[in-house]
Amino acid sequence: MAEVNWHTFFFLVAALAACGFAIAVVISGNIVRMAFYLVMSLGAVSGLFFLAGADLIGALQLMIYVGGTLVLLVFGVMLTSGGPFARMKTPRWQWALSIVLAGWLLAILLKTATSVDDWGSASVSRSHVPPEAAPTARAIGLALVGVRVDRLAQQNQDTQAGMAGYLLPFEIVSVHLVVVLVGAAYLARTKRRKQPAQFPQKSSTQSL
Amino acid sequence: MAIERTGLEWDEFDVRTDELVINMGPQHPSTHGVLRVLLRTDGEVVQQAEPHIGYLHRCAEKIGENVSARQWIPYTDRLDYLAAMNMNLGWALTVEKLLGLEVPEKGRHLRVIMAELNRIASHLVAAGTYGLDLGSFTPFMYCFREREKILNLFEEACGARLTYSYITVGGVMADLPAGWTDRCLAFLDQFEPVVDELHALLTSNAIFVRRAAGIGVLAPELAVSYGCSGPVLRASGVDWDLRRDGDPWYTRMYQGYDWDVIVQVNGRYPHDENYPQVPRAAVLGDCWHRFYVRMLEVVQSMRLVRQGIERYRTAAGSVGQPIKLSQKLPKGEVYLETEAPKGQMGFMVIGDDSAVPVRVRARSSSFCNLSVLSELCRGCLVADVPAILGSLDIVLGEIDR
Amino acid sequence: MAEWLKGYLDPPWLAYLAAALLQCAVLLAVVMTAVAAFNWMERKIAGRLQDRLGPTRVGGRFGWLQSVADGIKLLTKEDIIPAGADAMLFRLAPYLSFCTAFCVFVAIPFTDKWVALRLNAAVFFILAVAGLEVFGVILGGYSSGSKWSLLGAMREAAQVVSYEVPMALCVVVVVTVAGTMDLVAIGKMQSGWFWDWLVFHDPFTFLTFWIYSTCAVASVNRAPFDLPEAESELVAGFMTEYSGFRWSVFFMAEYGSMLAVSILAAILFFGGWNGPIPLAGLLGLTPQHGPVAGFLGELLGAINTLGKGILGVGVMMWLRWTLPRLRIDQVMTVCLKYCIPLAAAMFVGAALWTYAFPGGLILPARAAPTEPAFPLAAAAHNAGEQ
Repeated sequence: MAEVNWHTFFFLVAALAACGFAIAVVISGNIVRMAFYLVMSLGAVSGLFFLAGADLIGALQLMIYVGGTLVLLVFGVMLTSGGPFARMKTPRWQWALSIVLAGWLLAILLKTATSVDDWGSASVSRSHVPPEAAPTARAIGLALVGVRVDRLAQQNQDTQAGMAGYLLPFEIVSVHLVVVLVGAAYLARTKRRKQPAQFPQKSSTQSL
Repeated sequence: MAIERTGLEWDEFDVRTDELVINMGPQHPSTHGVLRVLLRTDGEVVQQAEPHIGYLHRCAEKIGENVSARQWIPYTDRLDYLAAMNMNLGWALTVEKLLGLEVPEKGRHLRVIMAELNRIASHLVAAGTYGLDLGSFTPFMYCFREREKILNLFEEACGARLTYSYITVGGVMADLPAGWTDRCLAFLDQFEPVVDELHALLTSNAIFVRRAAGIGVLAPELAVSYGCSGPVLRASGVDWDLRRDGDPWYTRMYQGYDWDVIVQVNGRYPHDENYPQVPRAAVLGDCWHRFYVRMLEVVQSMRLVRQGIERYRTAAGSVGQPIKLSQKLPKGEVYLETEAPKGQMGFMVIGDDSAVPVRVRARSSSFCNLSVLSELCRGCLVADVPAILGSLDIVLGEIDR
Repeated sequence: MAEWLKGYLDPPWLAYLAAALLQCAVLLAVVMTAVAAFNWMERKIAGRLQDRLGPTRVGGRFGWLQSVADGIKLLTKEDIIPAGADAMLFRLAPYLSFCTAFCVFVAIPFTDKWVALRLNAAVFFILAVAGLEVFGVILGGYSSGSKWSLLGAMREAAQVVSYEVPMALCVVVVVTVAGTMDLVAIGKMQSGWFWDWLVFHDPFTFLTFWIYSTCAVASVNRAPFDLPEAESELVAGFMTEYSGFRWSVFFMAEYGSMLAVSILAAILFFGGWNGPIPLAGLLGLTPQHGPVAGFLGELLGAINTLGKGILGVGVMMWLRWTLPRLRIDQVMTVCLKYCIPLAAAMFVGAALWTYAFPGGLILPARAAPTEPAFPLAAAAHNAGEQ
C-alpha cells in the first residue's frame, strides 16, 4: 500500500468531526446536548488550526470559544431552562427558511473556495509543516507593536503603516469588552424586594 | 417573572430565583445522628431550616414505667451515648433524692472523676466532628485517639466502652481496679500537649476562624428563652453552670473543688493566657465561641479529675452500695437537673410506693439546643448549616429518647 | 523512530502508526503510573498525618499494590446510571474530564529533548486545555439529574473558571521574564545551579510562585478549596451519582491535572529538568560523551522534573489533610479580592524589574532566548549563508 498522507487523513477526521457535530447541533432537540455537540465541533475546528501549523490560534480557539463562550452558553442554558432536559421544538417553516438561507450561504462559500487557484492544488510539501518549523508567535507580537516581519518587502510606506501596530485597538476592544460585561452584570443584578418573601409556616406534610 | 411598572416608561424585570427545598438527612454525613433538616433556600441563602426529629425514638420513658429504677440505668446510657456516665449520674441522683439516700464521700469523688472524664471524652467528639464537618480530617483522628485512651480507662473500670451503667442508684457498681488512678493521671499528663495541638489545628487556624466566627450568633436572651444550656448558653455570655448554681443535692458533689465556670467575663475567659485569644471576627455567641468554650471546659475538667483522684485516694469508707432491685420508691416526685456535657439534663421520677416508678421523664439538653437551629440558620448560607449544627453539639439519642 | 520501524514493518503507514501509538503509550503509561502512585501516596500521607499507618497489607508491608486492588474493585462494581439521568452525557462526562486532563501532557516537556509536541505557544496551550476540564464537571453534575449534583457542579465550574484568571496572570509574569511561551526554552534558560531558577530571578517572580500555587490548588479543586467535593455537605457534589469505574475516571483526571500543574510550576519556576546542581554536566552525562551518556543525562533531567512534580503533589496532599475547607463565597473572595490584584501587581512589578535590571541585580540573569519568527525561512537563510 502506498504511503498514506497522514496530514490529509487527520484533516479529513477533523473536518468530518467539525461538520458532523455541527449538523448534530442543528438536528438534536435537547438543548444541553446541542451545547455539548457545539463543544466537540469547535474543538475539531481548533484541531484544524493545529494541523495548519497555527498553534497559537488553535490554543486561542480552545481557550476563548470552547473554554469561555461555550462554558457561558452551557451555564446559561442550564440555569434558565424551564426544567431539566428541556427540548427545543422548531416549527417546520423555520426549518425550511433556515435550510434555504444556509444552503445559499454554503453555495457562496463553496464557489469562493474552489475559485482560488492557490487552494485548488493539493501539494503535500506545502501543506505539511512540521511543528519545529511552524511560525512562532513572535511574528504576531512584533506586528502588534508595529513591525510586520512577514511583509518586510512591502515598499509602500502607507500600506506598511496600516498593516501593523494593533496594540492600541486591541486594548481598546478589551476594555470595551470589560465594560460590556460589567454593564451586563449590573443590569442582571438581583433587586431588593420590599418585604421578605413569605413562606408557608406549616410544612409537616411536605414530601420530598 | 414579575413585571413591575415603575414611574419611568420602561418595565423592570426582576428575575425570580427559584426557592430550592433541600433535604439534609436523615442519612447525611454531617447531621450528628439521624436528623432530617429541611432547608428552604433562595439560591445559596437559607430562608428556613426546620429540623425533623423522631428517627431514633425508642420509647425509653415508657419502658421506665415498667422496670425498676436500677433497671432503667442502661436506658439512660443510651440517651446521650457519648456521655453515658453523666446520664447515669443524673438518674441516680434523682432516685437517690427521692429515696433520701446519701452516697458516701468516696463514692461522690469517684462520681466526679467519672463524670468529668466523660465530659472530656464528649467534648473531644464534639471538637473532632466539628473539624470534620468543616473539612479538616486530621484533628478528628487526634481527638478520637485521645478518646480511645479514656475509653480504655472506662473499660478497665466497668467493662464497657460506651454504655457503662456504672454509676448506679446508691453509688457505683464496683470500686476501681488497682493502679487505675495512676493510669488516669498518666493519661492526663500526656493529654495536655494534645490540647495545644488541637488549638493550633483548629481554634487559631485562619480558615477555621473564617468558617466559624460570626456565624450563627445566638443572643443571650434568645438562648434563655429557648431553654438552651451548657456550652451553647455560656458561649452567649450567660453565667450559668449547674455544677455551681444547681440543686444542692447535685452541687454537693463539687463542693470544695477548685475550678472555673467557662464564660466570658469582661471580655476575657478565665485562664486563657496559654490559649489562643479571641479573634477579631468572632462575636459573642457565635460558633467559634461555642467551640472555644468546650475546649476550655476540657482543661477545667482535667483539673477536676486530678482533684477528684486526690480526694478519692485520701477518702475513707466505701464507694457506696447499689440499692436492691426490689427497693420500693416512696410516694413523691423529684425533678433534678445536672450539668451534662451538652447542657442541662433533667430527670424526673414519680414514685408510688413500689419498685417500679409511675412516671419517668428525661428532659434533654440537646432538644432545646436543637430548637434554636431554625433561628440561627435564617439568612445564612447553605454551607453554614453544618457549621452551626456542629457547634450546637447535639446527640439524637437524647433528643429522641 | 518511524524510519527505524519501517525496516521491520512492511507497509510504511503501519510503521508510522506504530511509532505514533508507541509514543502515545509511553506518555500515557508515565502519567497513569504516576496517578496510581498518587492514590497510594495520598492514603499513606493521610494515614501518617493522622497518626496511623495507611495501607499495609496489599503487596507487602507498605501496601504497594493497594492502587491495583482499588482499581480492580472499582472495575468490578455494578454500573449504575440513575433513572432520571441523561444517559449519553452521564457516560461522556468523566471521559471529557479525563481526556482534557491528559491532553495537557502532550505539550509538557520532561527534558529539553523528551517532549511529545514542542509547541511554540506551549504555555498558552496548557492553560487553554486545562480550562476545558470544567466541561466534564458541568455535564457530569447536570446529567446526574439530581439537585445536589447540579449545585456542586455549578460551584465547581464557577471556582475553576474564576481561578483560571489569576493562574494565567501568574504564568504571564514568568512569560514576561522569560520572553517566550515555549516551555523548552524556558527550561533551557534555567540551566545551571539552583540560583539560576526563575523563582530566584526577582522578588516579584518569587511572590508570584506563591500566588500561583494557591491558584493551582484552587483550580484543581483540592482542599482547602474542595467545597464541590465536600463530603460533609453535599455528599460528593457533582460526583454523587458516579460509582465504580466512572468515579475512578474522574479521580484519575483530578490526579492527572494535579500532576500537570505541579510539573508546570516546576518548569516555570524551579528549573524543570535542571537540578539544583548541574549534576549531568559534572558527571559528564552529555551527548558529547556518547549516546548512552546522553540518554542517562536526559533520564536524570526527567527524574528531576517528575520529582519536583511529585513533591508539589505531595504538598497539595499535605494541605488537604491539614486544613479545613473554605466556603464557596470565601473561595471566590480570595480569588477576586486577593489573588487577581496581587497577580496583577506582580506582573507590573516583574515587567518593571526586567526593564530596569535586564542583566539581573545580584546575579547575572540569563538573556531571554531570541527565537526566529519564521524558523523555516531562518533555517533556509542560515543554510544559504553557509
